[in-house]
Amino acid sequence: MRRKDKTPVGIGRPQTKEKPPHPKTFYPDPPSLYQIHLNLVFVAETLPDLAMMHADALIARAREGDKNAQGKLVQLWYKRIYNFSYKFFFDHDLAMEVSQKTFISMHKNLAGLQEVARFKSWLYTIAVNCCREEVRRKKANRSLSLQDLNPGESEESYHWEASHHRSENPERLLRQSELSDLLQACLMQLNAEQREVVIMKEYEGLKFREIAEALNISENTAKSRMYYGLNALKRILEQKNITKETIGYEL
Amino acid sequence: MNYKPDESTLIAYLYGELGESETEKVELYFKEHPGALADLRSLNDVRNVLGHVTEKEVIAPPVIESDHTVRPLWQMPAVRFAMGMAASLLFLLVAGRLLGPEINYSNGELRISFAKKAESASPPATLTQQQVAAMIEASLAKNNAAQASTNADDQRKLLQTLADINAKKIETLNSQTSRASQEQVRLFVANLQEQNLKIMKDYFQLSTADQKKYTEKLLVDFSSYLQEQRKQDLQFVQSKMNYLEKNNNQFKQETEQILTSLIANPTRKNTNY
Repeated sequence: MRRKDKTPVGIGRPQTKEKPPHPKTFYPDPPSLYQIHLNLVFVAETLPDLAMMHADALIARAREGDKNAQGKLVQLWYKRIYNFSYKFFFDHDLAMEVSQKTFISMHKNLAGLQEVARFKSWLYTIAVNCCREEVRRKKANRSLSLQDLNPGESEESYHWEASHHRSENPERLLRQSELSDLLQACLMQLNAEQREVVIMKEYEGLKFREIAEALNISENTAKSRMYYGLNALKRILEQKNITKETIGYEL
Repeated sequence: MNYKPDESTLIAYLYGELGESETEKVELYFKEHPGALADLRSLNDVRNVLGHVTEKEVIAPPVIESDHTVRPLWQMPAVRFAMGMAASLLFLLVAGRLLGPEINYSNGELRISFAKKAESASPPATLTQQQVAAMIEASLAKNNAAQASTNADDQRKLLQTLADINAKKIETLNSQTSRASQEQVRLFVANLQEQNLKIMKDYFQLSTADQKKYTEKLLVDFSSYLQEQRKQDLQFVQSKMNYLEKNNNQFKQETEQILTSLIANPTRKNTNY
């Protein structure tokens, strides 16, 4: 079976033996700074670890009320939360609303965050709660909008705006976009509990421990939901005749 | 072998989150049950298909701080109003003090005047011309009498004092002529001593002042030298700090870029295939 590992070279698991590239290009002259960098590298081992240390420092500063750090956190995490919400609802407006609510809530409650290391699962907890609130609200307002009746058309303008692969083949892009929407529709057929776990695992790259923390369930429950979610998706895809082969042919 | 992995174990194996011993067990199980392996592979196919859902690009809105800032006390509207009133009152009081206005109301007449008292309404004159002339005459007579008496008295006193002064002068002249020689010598010596003392005192004073001035100048020079040196050192440290800051910022930017790319691309397909 073909292994499909998207992990970029040098990013991923901590590389204990490989040394990072010589940092002479970063710090040409002062030996003191070079020493500092070496020390940091010694502690952090890899650049991603170093970046994560930076992220932890950023979260700690934001927790202490540093507006600049809070702004940077929003910049860093907005796309992730938006994409999580978008995949959950398959609706741009709802995703935008949930994203904004999530970051407002983050801003209000960040001071109460106990452990910096749990920021990621904490943020997704807020996002999930906002999504569930929207679902409840939607159920309460049973009326259907024109967008609900024909969601594809309403998204058209947004797609044009979001398109940034200008150099690529437009026909291929259109097919990709259609396939993406089709798969997204398949995701929407899952029940909310399974959908949450599938999106968090498959698209947000959370570990099962983090998913369990975010959803306040046990790790085994998270794994079970994932298992049954994937099985359900398998059946849905079979019904729609979407397989690896058909996708390869289409694209 | 009775081992059969449950769905949690299988899914953890699929995502590469299983411990080594468990992984070995599961792999052994798959060797004995190829059907279970095929099922798991089909789930992995589903994952691969799901990977075709594209990421939506979105621009994070700018973070704007709310206007709900605490106003200082002096910017509160009520306080500003009260302060305005107080300032106006103070201005009026000062102006009043400087201009000295006077407001007077009498006989149905309102008078406002500045820097000068309002004329009081004096009653009309009731004395006749004869009465005034008699009063002046009486006053003149009284004045002349007093003048004459004081003149005689002053003349007498003057003569008396002149006589006293002359007598004293004659007496002192007589005593001086008798003690002339001894007194002069003593006076001369005393003057000489006093002059010498004064010269010595001036000399020491001048010398001390010069020395003091010289020491002060030396200290000022040394202080300015030290300040110059310190300034140069500070400039040197500042330039080094700028250099460090520049490098640090570059380092920070690079770290943030890495962090952004890490957060933006979280999906890692850690499969065991």
